Amino acid sequence: MTVLALAIGAVLAVTCVVFVALPFLREPDPVEDRLDEPGVLERRALELAEERDRALAALKELEFDHRTGKISDEDYRELIGPLRARVAEALRALEPHAGSTEERVHAAG
Amino acid sequence: MPELGRAALALCLGLALYALIAGAYAAKTRRRRLAHSAQNALLAAFGAAGAASIVLLAALLRNDFSFKYVAEHTSRELPTPYTISAFWGGQEGSLLLWLLILTGFSAAAVALSRRSAPDLLPWAVPILGLVASFFAFMLVAVSSPFATQLAPADGAGLNPSLQNPYMMIHPPCLYLGYVGLTIPFAFAMGALLARRTDELWIVATRRWTLFAWTALGIGQLLGSHWAYVEVGWGGYYAWDPVENAALMPWLAATAFLHSVMIQEKRGMLKVWNVLLVVLAFCLALFGTFLTRSGVVSSIHSFSVSPLGGWFLGFIAGITAGSLIVIFTRLPLLRSKTRMESLVSREATFLYNNLLLVALCLTILWGVAFPILSEAVHGERITVSSPYYNFFLRVFGLPLLLLMAIGPLVAWRRASLRSLGRSFAWPAGIALAVGVVLLFLGAGSSWIGLVAYTFSAFVLASIGYEFVRGTRARKALTGGAWLAAFVELVGRNRRRYGGYIVHAAIVLLAIGVVGSSAYDTVRERTLAPGQTMGVSHYTVRYDRLVKRDGPNATEFRAILGVKKDGRSVGTLESGKNAYRAEDQTSNEVGIRSDPLTGEDLYVITDAINPNGTIAFKVLVKPLVNLIWISGVVFLLGSVVALWPSAAEQRRLASRYRELRAPARA
Amino acid sequence: MSRRGSPVRLVVALSVAAVLAIFLLYVSVTGGTPSIQPSQLHGRTGVVALDGKVTGTPAGDAQADGLRFHMRDVSGSGAGIPVVYRGSVPDMFEVGREVRVEGRLQDGVFVAKKDSLRTKCPSKYVAKKS
Repeated sequence: MTVLALAIGAVLAVTCVVFVALPFLREPDPVEDRLDEPGVLERRALELAEERDRALAALKELEFDHRTGKISDEDYRELIGPLRARVAEALRALEPHAGSTEERVHAAG
Repeated sequence: MPELGRAALALCLGLALYALIAGAYAAKTRRRRLAHSAQNALLAAFGAAGAASIVLLAALLRNDFSFKYVAEHTSRELPTPYTISAFWGGQEGSLLLWLLILTGFSAAAVALSRRSAPDLLPWAVPILGLVASFFAFMLVAVSSPFATQLAPADGAGLNPSLQNPYMMIHPPCLYLGYVGLTIPFAFAMGALLARRTDELWIVATRRWTLFAWTALGIGQLLGSHWAYVEVGWGGYYAWDPVENAALMPWLAATAFLHSVMIQEKRGMLKVWNVLLVVLAFCLALFGTFLTRSGVVSSIHSFSVSPLGGWFLGFIAGITAGSLIVIFTRLPLLRSKTRMESLVSREATFLYNNLLLVALCLTILWGVAFPILSEAVHGERITVSSPYYNFFLRVFGLPLLLLMAIGPLVAWRRASLRSLGRSFAWPAGIALAVGVVLLFLGAGSSWIGLVAYTFSAFVLASIGYEFVRGTRARKALTGGAWLAAFVELVGRNRRRYGGYIVHAAIVLLAIGVVGSSAYDTVRERTLAPGQTMGVSHYTVRYDRLVKRDGPNATEFRAILGVKKDGRSVGTLESGKNAYRAEDQTSNEVGIRSDPLTGEDLYVITDAINPNGTIAFKVLVKPLVNLIWISGVVFLLGSVVALWPSAAEQRRLASRYRELRAPARA
Repeated sequence: MSRRGSPVRLVVALSVAAVLAIFLLYVSVTGGTPSIQPSQLHGRTGVVALDGKVTGTPAGDAQADGLRFHMRDVSGSGAGIPVVYRGSVPDMFEVGREVRVEGRLQDGVFVAKKDSLRTKCPSKYVAKKS
């Protein structure tokens, strides 16, 4: 058990312990100690945001596929209408002017 | 210094356990400081593992044979690079490497996710701590690299077949892959534990998965190349359990990479995705277990060790725990969308997934069968190449076809008229290629011909995609073709990176088919001056030379090679006799044709006392495409991995909005 | 969205899975080779994979008439059974090495399949196949 090994080991251990205790040492008496987690409403809002992004991406992809020729003109005409409606719906669900968070989330169902 | 190493490992175990227990408690009771402290514990664990690694590395470089591990895997004569690679050459060291990479990745994940996924992190930390605790525990209590002994005069040395550059990169590369799969697993489980139903865990770990998958793929390719040029039996893959150990998680990860795209586009397959990531991670653990525990008889494995039981127990625990978590969250994961059409890109992705998972499970069955049959019948029954090759064809050929069809089909629904137009050119080219190949004699193997035709189909459809896309881009923005092409790829990195990767897989397929379905093998015993003909080569045995290498005596047969009647130089093939380890190894002679990619492969089977030599000569067409495909694979992955500023902004704003709504 | 397709699809998918599973079982059972040791060889007529240790003095040429040696159980003793082998001989082949060879018992001699001889490496981590 060499002295060097002992010393290095001690330094290592102490550093690690201090590092682990750091959050408590920095804030011995915090105002609040709560972990921020999305509540039910926020999660619903997130789902709506993902739905909106999905609809927008699908619209963009449809345009791209049409331009590259993967989707024929007839198919494009068939699909663009419902897709645009989906996008509008998704945007509306997240409309910031429709009132408070709770109102619009409940409205979107 | 072994005590320091042991202490560092014990410290690492303590920190990992703290991350697990305190992290879980903090996530459950929503304590901010405790959660932060648990995260710090993971970071500190990396430091501790790093310290232990430095101790081992120093001992290796010092030739400190009082470390049992150093004595078992190195010798004074061993060149320095191989002394370093001995770190992961043995069981204990490779476990330490696992732990080092795991804690390193965990630390990186913590650091990166603090900004991008702060609400998932408190739940992912205990999972990472759990896995780290297991490996740290193994190192502390079961299989320690810091066992000591009375130092012998010299060490046992490294097995000669491991003394080549591949030993430096192949194992670490594979480990980056195995360990890398822990991160998506941890975040997936974390999201479920937090009762989240959104796809943040996928977005946050997408690059980790891609990176790990790439590492696994490149690692396997390196291993195959090693087997081909160094071990020298004429092949590159023997369906050995340890080779399969890396292939299985790679297949599961491939399926996962595709199915998450469906979840992103359509919000479907949430349960399937979680199951896949659990499967991939468990297979990665299983792969480590297979390589290290000696349970399945393999040329690669160690003697049976106590490690096996622990590993199996851990894998069983992880599987059971994950399934319980998934099952209790099942209602949350139900999606409202249905697949609209069996002819859509989603459907092709689904078929692709089914085929990949089927192949993966088939291989798993083949690997586990000997153990199961022994437990049930008392007799160990093994399956070998014919079994695996059969299923590779059954699942692989349709997969090739899907790779061709997939890019040509649109999302949601593809009408037959659109399909017809998209298919016309690529299918036409493929058929033409097939007919030409038939005339060139490829009909000798109908499976080979079908595989080639499908491969042509894939390459044609990928090319078609690039052409169509560039043309559309050019029409939109004007400008030169090249600029339009670069812009196209830049704006759709995942899609076009993916196409490049597909092209790599096809090159791999062509190389594999060429070198197995259309190869030639001849065996002859030659006296000096005699010749043998193989395919369109003539090989003449000139003479035998004996050289003294750094740690071996080298015997080489000098051969004159003629191709199509014209001389193309000489080739050496022979054996090495290693002095310290008292073993011989095969040193094959390979001549690669730069134009056709085919190899002339000469094995010296036996050097007879009467002066004759038994040769085995193989001609393997197109085999070098396999190695080239690795480069293309890497390129495609890099393109797909490359972060896109626009995408980052969009994702960041989406998750920022989440926190912005007023709590009024 | 239509749900009428779902039960049909599920049934089809399950049927395909079942067929595959049965086929898998069949192929693995019939396609596999039992691994046994020389002491268990008595009376067996089919193709098996023989695991054991090399004993006696190997003689003959594997490239010509055949390499002749004996194999006994890994942890057993005695002279073992005679084996005749043709094909590539792994570099690590020697007396006392653990080997595996496929073939069948004919008239008291184990006739090996060509090129099927493999050596098992000692307890060091090795990646060797010959």
